[in-house]
Amino acid sequence: MRQKISVYQVAAKNLLRKKNRSALTVLGIGLSAWVLLSLLGFNRGYEAALNKDIDNMGFQVLVAAKGCPYEAATLMLKGGTGLRYMNESVIRDILRHPEVEKVTPMLMQAVFDPNKGESGGLSAYLGVDPATFPALKSYLKFKQGAWFTDTRSHEAVLGYEAAELEQREVGDLLLIPEKNIELKVVGILARSGTQDDGTIFVPLRMLQKEFGQEGRVTGIGIKVDRRADITALENRLYDLPDVQVVSMAQVKETIMSLVSTAKVMVLSIALIAILIAMLGVVNTILMSVIERTQEIGIVKSMGAMPWDVFRMIWTETVILCLLGGGVGIGLSAALSKVTDVLIRRLLPYTPTGSLVAIDSGLALLTLVVILGIGLVSGVYPAWRAARVRPLESIRSEGE
Amino acid sequence: MNHAGNLLRRSTFALVLSVLLAARLFPAVGCDLNDPDRDVKRLFPGATSYKTLYVSVTEKGGAPLLRRIEARLGDRFKGLYETADVPYTLYLVYKSKNLIGYIHGVNQKGRYGGLQVFLALDLQGNIRSFYFQKLTSQYAKLLRDPSFGRQFEGLNLKDFNAYDVTTGASREGGRVAAIRNPAPQAEDDFRAALRAVKKNLILVDEFLLGNQYLKDGAQP
Repeated sequence: MRQKISVYQVAAKNLLRKKNRSALTVLGIGLSAWVLLSLLGFNRGYEAALNKDIDNMGFQVLVAAKGCPYEAATLMLKGGTGLRYMNESVIRDILRHPEVEKVTPMLMQAVFDPNKGESGGLSAYLGVDPATFPALKSYLKFKQGAWFTDTRSHEAVLGYEAAELEQREVGDLLLIPEKNIELKVVGILARSGTQDDGTIFVPLRMLQKEFGQEGRVTGIGIKVDRRADITALENRLYDLPDVQVVSMAQVKETIMSLVSTAKVMVLSIALIAILIAMLGVVNTILMSVIERTQEIGIVKSMGAMPWDVFRMIWTETVILCLLGGGVGIGLSAALSKVTDVLIRRLLPYTPTGSLVAIDSGLALLTLVVILGIGLVSGVYPAWRAARVRPLESIRSEGE
Repeated sequence: MNHAGNLLRRSTFALVLSVLLAARLFPAVGCDLNDPDRDVKRLFPGATSYKTLYVSVTEKGGAPLLRRIEARLGDRFKGLYETADVPYTLYLVYKSKNLIGYIHGVNQKGRYGGLQVFLALDLQGNIRSFYFQKLTSQYAKLLRDPSFGRQFEGLNLKDFNAYDVTTGASREGGRVAAIRNPAPQAEDDFRAALRAVKKNLILVDEFLLGNQYLKDGAQP
């Protein structure tokens, strides 16, 4: 009985003849696919995580005292201590704008705690208004207790990580070092995956009084009507004296421009990795063609046409690239957490949440790119194999 | 060919290991040295290297181990944060290739915040040095004074077995009873520190010393 052998079977068998060489080539392609897919995932994940962080702020515009805009951005996103003050009366002016739905005043204060770590460190407190702040941060849920109800009480609500570090629970005491002020913990927030996890919230009026900042705030969060033109509102808010307006869109733009440098670096590495993988493919297939010159000659003398030989060699390339692409996709999915950690160490600011978002669409795109590169890499070896002259190659075997 | 095969196997192993380690990066909060390179040199001046081990009660023995540790401590693990899944960071300190001691810290609830109590121990579990890495108290200066820490030097779990962490009582004439509180107004933090030391020594005995102090029949 005659059995028809397909070109795929022949190609697969050829690759299996040099298992280690094929495996190393697949690994090389896999590594470059990993870098490529991780980069694409980062491209998407970072922006999504940043958007989520910004949405979780609960407000779209922040009005802060005039100063460096980066300080304001840090204040909003990292809870930093850009201590520039403005008069609380600004709230009245802001509320006159019809687009403004809600506002919440905030006061950030920091003290030096000589007993924090080996050589001391800063402890920060965010004074918030219990009447307006919780409404803007509706996504915050409590693990224990609730928000303080009196804006002058000596109470505190702790983000989960702050509470964990200080081992605090509802009913425990908290000390503001330097000032020696005792606060009672009335609430512990559940983990939110945002900067709020590390924040210590205290009543605004109490913080203003204890730090001698009555009538002053460091920021005012504004929730804008969804239908309103935020840019137009921002422009009008700029007319207020001695304040600066930072919109989340600006913050995002600033951070994305900082990150773009890192992206270019990683993209360059990815391109180099792809180039090396491409040369690896050409090398593997070309070596295989040279080693099998006589064999190809015999195949052609038995009636195989140049296109059949070309297709056979090209198929080997495709198989290598498909396997390598698969390995790369597997690596990217398995090591996405490691990639996330590495990126966090590299970048000056990283939002909370996953930085590397890999989905089936990106995986497919990577596979297509790797396959495309493989097809191009396979053209020369396949063309060379197709040009083998049967008689000359068989004669060279005898010699 | 075998060489290439081995290479592939090793690479695969390394990748799998990386995945497993990645899963350990975000557990409940533990107690690490702020600057291990600097701190190890300070606590063991002759040290040339160190290894870090991460161990939790859950991983090491689960509920039965937790019960044994609580029995040895004479107190339950309490609250939101003192749980069996807390990862303890144990530093094994070496001079050339020889193990010369251990460093271990635990978190402990204090009056105004979390305390981080670190012990440097010799291979028999005797305390070489004691210090607070973190402490929030109006009397922190007194409690962090080196003279307070020096009172712990040379003590081990056998001494602390005579200390009751719930009442603060200690056997008359015992070495723990001789430890003086430099800030009587901060009694809560003083007792929290002693509880942290006892817990620290028990965990080191369980995780590193093969329950040396349990076998000796040194329980209260």
